[in-house]
Amino acid sequence: MNDNRRYDVNLFRPKPGYMRDEVKVILLVLVGWGVLTFGFQLLLRLFAEPVTGESWLTRLSFFNLPLHFWFTGQFLPLWFVILCALFNLFIDKLTERHSRRRDFRDERHLH
Amino acid sequence: MSDTSTNLVPLMIVVGVLASFIVVGLLTKAKEATEYLFAGRYIGRVGGGAAIASNWMSAASLMGMAGLIYLYGYLALAYVIGWTGGYVLLLVLLAGQIRRFGKYTAPDFVGERYASPTARLIAAVISIAISVIYCVAQFKGIALLFGWLLGLPYRSALLVGGISTILYVVISGMLGVAKNQRMQYFVLIVSFILPLMFLARKLGYFWILPQFGYGAAIDGLSHEAQRQFVTPFASGSLFQWVALCFTLMVGTGGLPHVLSRFYMVPNIRDARWSVVWGLFFIALIYWSAPAYAVFGRLMETRLGITLDPDTARSMADLVIIKTAVMGGLPQWLVGVLAAGAMSAAFFTVAGLLMTGAASISYDIYYRLINQRASEANRMAVAKGGTLVLALVVFLLALEPRGLIAEITAIAFALAGNTIFPAFLLGIWWERANRHGVIAGLLTGVLVTFAAPLFGGAFPLVAQLLPVTSSAIIGAPLVILVMIGVSLVTPPPPEEIRRFLAEEVHGHMD
Repeated sequence: MNDNRRYDVNLFRPKPGYMRDEVKVILLVLVGWGVLTFGFQLLLRLFAEPVTGESWLTRLSFFNLPLHFWFTGQFLPLWFVILCALFNLFIDKLTERHSRRRDFRDERHLH
Repeated sequence: MSDTSTNLVPLMIVVGVLASFIVVGLLTKAKEATEYLFAGRYIGRVGGGAAIASNWMSAASLMGMAGLIYLYGYLALAYVIGWTGGYVLLLVLLAGQIRRFGKYTAPDFVGERYASPTARLIAAVISIAISVIYCVAQFKGIALLFGWLLGLPYRSALLVGGISTILYVVISGMLGVAKNQRMQYFVLIVSFILPLMFLARKLGYFWILPQFGYGAAIDGLSHEAQRQFVTPFASGSLFQWVALCFTLMVGTGGLPHVLSRFYMVPNIRDARWSVVWGLFFIALIYWSAPAYAVFGRLMETRLGITLDPDTARSMADLVIIKTAVMGGLPQWLVGVLAAGAMSAAFFTVAGLLMTGAASISYDIYYRLINQRASEANRMAVAKGGTLVLALVVFLLALEPRGLIAEITAIAFALAGNTIFPAFLLGIWWERANRHGVIAGLLTGVLVTFAAPLFGGAFPLVAQLLPVTSSAIIGAPLVILVMIGVSLVTPPPPEEIRRFLAEEVHGHMD
């Protein structure tokens, strides 16, 4: 069993180093993805008045649309684009940092 | 508008646009040989994004989505969110890792990762089923468009449309037409948004960005239509909204032809950024779809038409065309709109039938039946497979059970209940083994079709696992089954665990 442990791959127990940093970014993005998408629908339901189903979220208007319609139909797709761009920025930076560290380590090894 | 006459001008435009793809494809093929040395096949991040978007666009996006929003208003925004939010999952959880894993197709990945020919076979059959269901929806869209263009009843139009699609696939293949996905996306976006701008202008709304101008039109709807359209959960409960949305999201992350964009990309960093562009290009179309739905309702209000629910449902899939006609757009512009939807459906069918046939020929015939099959032999099986699949799709499309986007959603549910968990655990948990994945894939298939199979006897099953939205319960359940079964059976071979730890997740160590 001891031998098996060397190849541990687990989203919830990432190995220290690049993978741990990467998983942190992944989980952050997923939280932003889930909370805004599903959390907002939950809010809509919580505030919904009986019979009409309306609330302040549906009465306010934004860009000529009821706020909730604007948020779901127009803002969320944009939010996903933003999340993907942020993820890429972080991963690009992460990759650069770790490859510099790796190059540095390899160089010291050579000398 | 009469339903039995031919619409000649739009027909000519549709044929012209489809033919121009062949001509341009032939021209680029001739040019490619000389340009190859300089430009190579590098298309850049924006071009890569256009390719992702055109690979994604189908009759479901261009016809079905507007139709469902027209019918169900806010509930159907779950399609808009599901089909964009899924790319977040795909990008952050799978894209980079499957590139480093480096297999060619979904069954190939499952077969290699879990070291099991049985798992490969099940994954291949599931991928083929996904392609077939997806194509049924496309065939329905093609038939409706041909029906409108030629003034034919549904089944005759399906026959004409089906034969035209297959001929188009065969001719393009024989001529070796190069796929130009950037041009495809350009045609799709122009054909969808230009008529919308005309409509908005004609109706007196902000036409420069009709995606944002349609809001004012909601005020013009009758009170009832307005309530139906805007009020959250008027047409479905919170659970229905969330279940549908979640299903479409995980389905996006499990669709074989979407995943296949990442297996062999030359540069994962460019591929990741092209997802951002691709998602933006997809969103451009999805921001516009609700506008067609609102304008359609508005025109009905203005013309004093009230449709009973059944009639509305039967015309919903053609709502973009009907709206354009009711709005009095010039014939050629309606033709442009139809041409965009038609080419999206054609290209989707072409891509999916070829993916499906490749799976029959490689994953089933070559890997499992005849390992000594020659290249020519495998080609013959692939070609035969394409025709057999097309026939199956045709037969299923004779009696379509739902609207275009609903049929497509079943394919997403199947993908989300099977391929997505197999990839997710395959990448992120080294302990997942072949017993786990086989049990998981079979559970996923069962869950997907639980409502039609057992819904009659157990109404609760139909309520909890609607056939378009089963993955909200299905995907987590399949993941649990995979974990449970894997833990009570021996771990997968050391070789594959080392590969996962060192190559897929250890490339930076």
